[in-house]
Amino acid sequence: MADALPGDAGIRKADFVADVVNHTLHDLVIRCTKTEEVRNYYFVSVIGYGRTVGSALTGLLADRASAPIAEIAEYPMRIETRLKRVPDGAGGIVEMPVRFPVWLYPVADGGTPMCQAFTRAKTILEQWLREHPRGFPPTVLHLTDGESGDGDPTTIAREIMSLATDDGQMLLFNCHVSSRRGPKIEYPATDWSLSDGFARTLYEMSSQLPDNFIAAAQQLGVAVEAGARGFVFNADPSSVVQFYEIGTSLTGMTPHIWMDA
Amino acid sequence: MFRVWQLQVNQFLLPKEGAQVSECEDAIGVNAAAGRFAVADGATEAFDARSWARQLAHGWVATEPPLLTREAFGAWVAEQGSVLHDAWQGRVLSWYAEEKARRGSFAAFVGVQFELGNGTPRWTAIALGDSCLIQRRGTLVCRALPVADHQQFTSTPLLVPSLGGLQESTLAQARVESGAVESADVFWLLSDAAAEWFLRHAAEADGVLDRLDNLLATGQAEELASLFQRERRTRRIKDDDVAVVRIAVTGS
Repeated sequence: MADALPGDAGIRKADFVADVVNHTLHDLVIRCTKTEEVRNYYFVSVIGYGRTVGSALTGLLADRASAPIAEIAEYPMRIETRLKRVPDGAGGIVEMPVRFPVWLYPVADGGTPMCQAFTRAKTILEQWLREHPRGFPPTVLHLTDGESGDGDPTTIAREIMSLATDDGQMLLFNCHVSSRRGPKIEYPATDWSLSDGFARTLYEMSSQLPDNFIAAAQQLGVAVEAGARGFVFNADPSSVVQFYEIGTSLTGMTPHIWMDA
Repeated sequence: MFRVWQLQVNQFLLPKEGAQVSECEDAIGVNAAAGRFAVADGATEAFDARSWARQLAHGWVATEPPLLTREAFGAWVAEQGSVLHDAWQGRVLSWYAEEKARRGSFAAFVGVQFELGNGTPRWTAIALGDSCLIQRRGTLVCRALPVADHQQFTSTPLLVPSLGGLQESTLAQARVESGAVESADVFWLLSDAAAEWFLRHAAEADGVLDRLDNLLATGQAEELASLFQRERRTRRIKDDDVAVVRIAVTGS
């Protein structure tokens, strides 16, 4: 994660991914905001793994395995001022300062203890499922830049995929982002095009995209066919953004294209 | 032959289950003297949607001359959007409310104007979104707009935006239609859940709409609320705010 993204001079993967996750949390909060109130339509956990495995949230949320979205809204680590491009009302575009919350900062340190990370995720999920047996089944969005460094993650990943609520099975989607420039593979329906053993492993541990996620992907202009897995290999920056947008589109809600906002 | 036309108007508003009337984001506008009626349905996830829906429904029926072209409606919506956004100025908002306010408010809208004076009696309607006008003659639905079939309702209808930058392209898609009025016609203005439910019952011809008609015409609000609550429990209608306006036209 300390390496630069292919094609984006100078931008570290860790910086870019942290920015995407912060935007995703921002977007989830906005979707749940009704005038001045944030409704708890979601619970969110963010796990980071490298030298250590644990919550990537910081500040008042640092010790929380998961938090309802209203608390995510209330307790960012800090609020920055960023410039946002908005219409000026006369056909042009102006930049205006807006408050932008930051929940996690980039860390690129250590190896890839993927099995430990999935074990941590499974513990959090099992606890949540005990408390919300009738809830909408959780979705895990897993992003990695390399192969597992602590064993084959397939078994623990399948255990996660077998978890369920009364409403259906859990979903596990995987996105691999490489430092090398290679052909990207997005949401394949078969493993025929996957020559890489690691790619096939990630494919095997990725859930099929349900219809509403396929619809969200198509709305974003991503070519996805029935039977597609929630899996991207050799993702470029736009693929990483879309991965999070599609993965959080839930129940037909329109993904918000924040990069164009 | 000269006829005297009369409108009998009844309205009914019911919030979602468990919500207070003060939380209802559907709004009804009635200007019986001008023969002008409207329903607006604020988008739940938008900022201050209740205010926007009320402003549209109440303001549209009160405006002279009536706003019955896309151009006139668009210019008026632009003014109203500015009024709404100005009202938010000075409010101290959290970062997320501020962001939500920046994106503006949204509402579905349908309004109808009756012209029952000289000449052939007519109605003209303007609509954007999934709040509907339905014209019923006896048990037959003879016009429904902008959605004509209960299977055509979606979760992403076009909505009237408060934000100026979004208005031109959206409002260009407003539907403007007109038609003839006959004595004993009953016109209905309905927000989306009620309109979808109405059109499905009309297709099934199961007598439920006659019961709705009777309860509303005779002002039995508690019975009406019970009817919709039963339909919600059996999932025959979405648990959403309900706005219904019944306009019965008689010529004698």
